Amino acid sequence: MEQSKVIRKKDLTLLERMYIPEILKGMRITIGQMFKPKFTVQYPEDKFVPSASFRGRPVLVEENGIERCVACGLCSRVCPALAIEVQASETVENKERYPEKFEINMLRCILCGFCEEVCPEEAIIMSNEYELVFENQKDALFAKDKLLVPIEKVQARLDFLRSHR
Amino acid sequence: MSEAIIAPPISSTGRSLRTEEMIINMGPQHPSTHGVLRLELIVDGEIVVDVVPHIGYLHRCFEKHCEHMTNYQQVIPYVDRMDYVCSMNNEFAYVVAAERLLKIQVPERVEYIRVIMAELQRIASHLIAVGTYGIDIGAFTPFLYCFRDREMILDLFEMTCGARLLYNYMWIGGLSHDIPVEFVPKAKEFCGYFRKQLRDFNDLLTYNEIFVKRTANVGLLPADVAVNFACSGPMLRGSGVNWDLRRDDPYSVYHKFDWDIAVGKGEVGPVGSCWDRHIVRMAEMEQSIRIVEQALEQIPEGDVQSAIPKRIRPNPGEVYARTESPRGELGFYIVSDGTGTPYRIKARSPGFVNLSVINEISRGSMIADLVAIIGSIDIVLGEVDR
Repeated sequence: MEQSKVIRKKDLTLLERMYIPEILKGMRITIGQMFKPKFTVQYPEDKFVPSASFRGRPVLVEENGIERCVACGLCSRVCPALAIEVQASETVENKERYPEKFEINMLRCILCGFCEEVCPEEAIIMSNEYELVFENQKDALFAKDKLLVPIEKVQARLDFLRSHR
Repeated sequence: MSEAIIAPPISSTGRSLRTEEMIINMGPQHPSTHGVLRLELIVDGEIVVDVVPHIGYLHRCFEKHCEHMTNYQQVIPYVDRMDYVCSMNNEFAYVVAAERLLKIQVPERVEYIRVIMAELQRIASHLIAVGTYGIDIGAFTPFLYCFRDREMILDLFEMTCGARLLYNYMWIGGLSHDIPVEFVPKAKEFCGYFRKQLRDFNDLLTYNEIFVKRTANVGLLPADVAVNFACSGPMLRGSGVNWDLRRDDPYSVYHKFDWDIAVGKGEVGPVGSCWDRHIVRMAEMEQSIRIVEQALEQIPEGDVQSAIPKRIRPNPGEVYARTESPRGELGFYIVSDGTGTPYRIKARSPGFVNLSVINEISRGSMIADLVAIIGSIDIVLGEVDR
């Protein structure tokens, strides 16, 4: 190990030795902060409203009372965390197939957005909801009842996706 | 405390008092070990005789996990989680390696955006390093200012890709989104603001008398030891070695910008002290601002997704690509067997290698100085353990 070296020391000037001016200099930054706008948000009372670019929890788009999803299973294939489970079934609607069971395990989901990227129908998209708290593991299994969101609520995100792809 | 380094008594010969060594565990729940690092200290009174780091509390089998992905793209969210304070740099390293393996050329615009993002992320990462280093040593105020400014960078990232910490932004051959129109003016505004802010940080922390006393003669890492232990990044540059992979092993478009490499000069004490590593980080933030400003000026028009391959299936072979992450040389070694899944991925993480030198540089120092030494290494346990 290298030998230690004595740190050079400057002598204090008269102004520095007077103590008070130096204290005021230090307080200048603190006082300056008092007049700047506040940067923090009082979270539970004031909520942070994300922009359309935000990637919150994934939701299924519900259009005319029915989900857009055609149960192709691409999202469950592309999911790196294996969080999505889809079971397809047939329907009399135009789209012919629908997901009988669509389940996202929110304990596994890492909000990467691959499912949204890969979806050919724009049926699964990332919403702006970020409060994901569960009391037990069963609550974290989001089935269709929790995933389906009417299209009006996620229109901003859909517009964002069309303009940025 | 830092005026003199006392050599520990090796044996109880002579007339000196017989002392007994004691083993103390520091961590894994210790606030100044920056995560879940456990240090086994062998101390003689207050003097550290030996340090044995025990790692693995945050091991998530990253490398094994990658072998079980269905394609190369799916590794990217996991790469994000390796070093979670500089995700962009991790992605950058991985996509550079994967693109070299696939032999694809990405558009100029993509390269520029990647450089901007990586440099902004470097600033954000160094802000955490500097802020928490202050906390370790007892300066609380700079920490809050650092986090406020980091938040502004995260806002820029959120605007671009929707996430604040784990982005999944750089994809093999392109980017997930183009930057929005308002990104460029906002980033320029941030650069101007941050330059002033850096001066404040230096006044508050770097040249603070107490801070200098706590760091200037502590944890001396001579250049030859740093090279022998394969240290990289600010750790190596703090010891006076002029080595930066952005210049010495060029990748992306770094050769197009005009910037300097910050090297520790031993301004307040010997070269290679904790203070030198700190000042290298401060100076690097300024250089990153310079790179970002130039890149924002020169950024060309174009499409960011045109080069993304439809099916990623590289020929059998192997590649090692290394990039300069905020902590040092971050390399990815990828072996392909011709299928769509990587056969083997090995990450060379700078934090792990830099941590290995801790025993060498903290022998003979006080326990309180050991905290300063760990802080100056700037480890992130997510990356040390992977």
